Amino acid sequence: MTRDTRARRALPPGSSRLLLASPLLLAACEGRQSVLVDGGADARILTDLFVVMLVGAVVLWFGMNGLFYWATRRSPAPHSQRVANWLVVLGGILFPTVTLGALLVYGLTLMPELRATGDGPVIRVTGEQWWWRVEYEREDGSTVTTANEIRLPAGERSTFLLDSKKVIHSFWVPSLGGKMDMFPGRVTEMTLGPEKPGIYRGQCAEFCGESHAWMAFEAEVMEPDAFEAWLDAEAEPAAAPATPEAGRGAALFLTQGCGACHTVRGTPAMGRVGPDLTHVGARHSLAAGRLGTGVEDFARWVANPGAWKPGAEMPAYDHLSDAQIGAIAAYLEGLE
Amino acid sequence: MDRDDHDREPQPQPHGDEREFSEERESLWRIAFAPTIWAFHFIISYAAVSVYCFKFGALFDMNTLRFALIAMTALMLAAIAWIGWRAFLRWDVRDTGEFTNPEGSAEDRHQFLGHAGFLLAIVSFIGVVYDTLPLILLGSCR
Repeated sequence: MTRDTRARRALPPGSSRLLLASPLLLAACEGRQSVLVDGGADARILTDLFVVMLVGAVVLWFGMNGLFYWATRRSPAPHSQRVANWLVVLGGILFPTVTLGALLVYGLTLMPELRATGDGPVIRVTGEQWWWRVEYEREDGSTVTTANEIRLPAGERSTFLLDSKKVIHSFWVPSLGGKMDMFPGRVTEMTLGPEKPGIYRGQCAEFCGESHAWMAFEAEVMEPDAFEAWLDAEAEPAAAPATPEAGRGAALFLTQGCGACHTVRGTPAMGRVGPDLTHVGARHSLAAGRLGTGVEDFARWVANPGAWKPGAEMPAYDHLSDAQIGAIAAYLEGLE
Repeated sequence: MDRDDHDREPQPQPHGDEREFSEERESLWRIAFAPTIWAFHFIISYAAVSVYCFKFGALFDMNTLRFALIAMTALMLAAIAWIGWRAFLRWDVRDTGEFTNPEGSAEDRHQFLGHAGFLLAIVSFIGVVYDTLPLILLGSCR
């Protein structure tokens, strides 16, 4: 048997498939929710930190295994007490102390930039089960309330005031920076400095109940002018229904009691239990990243929210006819 | 000369310190000195900065607190170094060449406690230095 065939035989079954799959696995490093995509300064710093740690870990892995190989195969005879003592002092005390000290200094020097004071909008985000209440605090003291979507101006450092209603959640947009826990009754603060316009994905990063995995949101980074225009539009009351069907939906929305939980500004619906729906049709997603915002998505959700998000507080409206649900969906989809 | 004296190994005339350390009951807790300083350093540093940032941030400059804590650190490091040096002398490895002191005689236990105290002092020294790095590198409450 030649050396070559032996080496080939030594490969466990499935290795070639793994090798073929590796480009696919690496492709997973791209995408809207990857920590390796640098949407801003914070994410870039964290990516650098990751690379430094990864390279260090690989060097250490090879170093340790090389030492192991040397000690067991190349030079298996007992070593002198003197060599062993020096190995303990250098490898066991000096090297870890210096390495850990250097990593600590490196990590600490990153922190001031990651925790810099915000110079952009102040956004209060409250974790609910399982969605995000989002309130923009404007300079004139007014508040613009929305939900399940965060828009940020590029090139400015936005401040997040994070709160929670009942359980601990964690606010995380991997492509924009680090995460921060949200505690009931205690406001935590973090800042993010996004730089590249685009749509990123955020995700609750602390288990918060049965639909924790469905608690996501879109984070859109916009040019500052576009952001201001969007915020002005978001502050406006809801648009009137544009079609007769949407008009019927608007009436049903009120008669079915949806307004007890949801706010649609400019209408009698002023509930604060569920997400503000004033401009829900203009959002990127429905139900905190669970569905899209097409008419059929609204219809699916209204008919049976629990099917899409187990444990959701909103009841199913499956007693309504398809036409009635379609009307409500048309109304909501038109709230842009 | 009674029987006990007859059995005992010949030893150098013990001075006060050695006599104390040959009694394990009294000397065991001494090896905890350096880690105790480390623990106090950790608690004092973190508590002082937390309380300052939460309550007194507006009253005085943070650098005052930083320099006070760094001065405290210097004193504590000096104390740990001194404790470590004393423990090293007790270990007496340079004269005996014995690292592990496996015999179990009174003098052996004495030297072993010196060895343990010396290592604990090293760990405590490193711990205090690590504790202090945030104080040096982070100058604000953020």
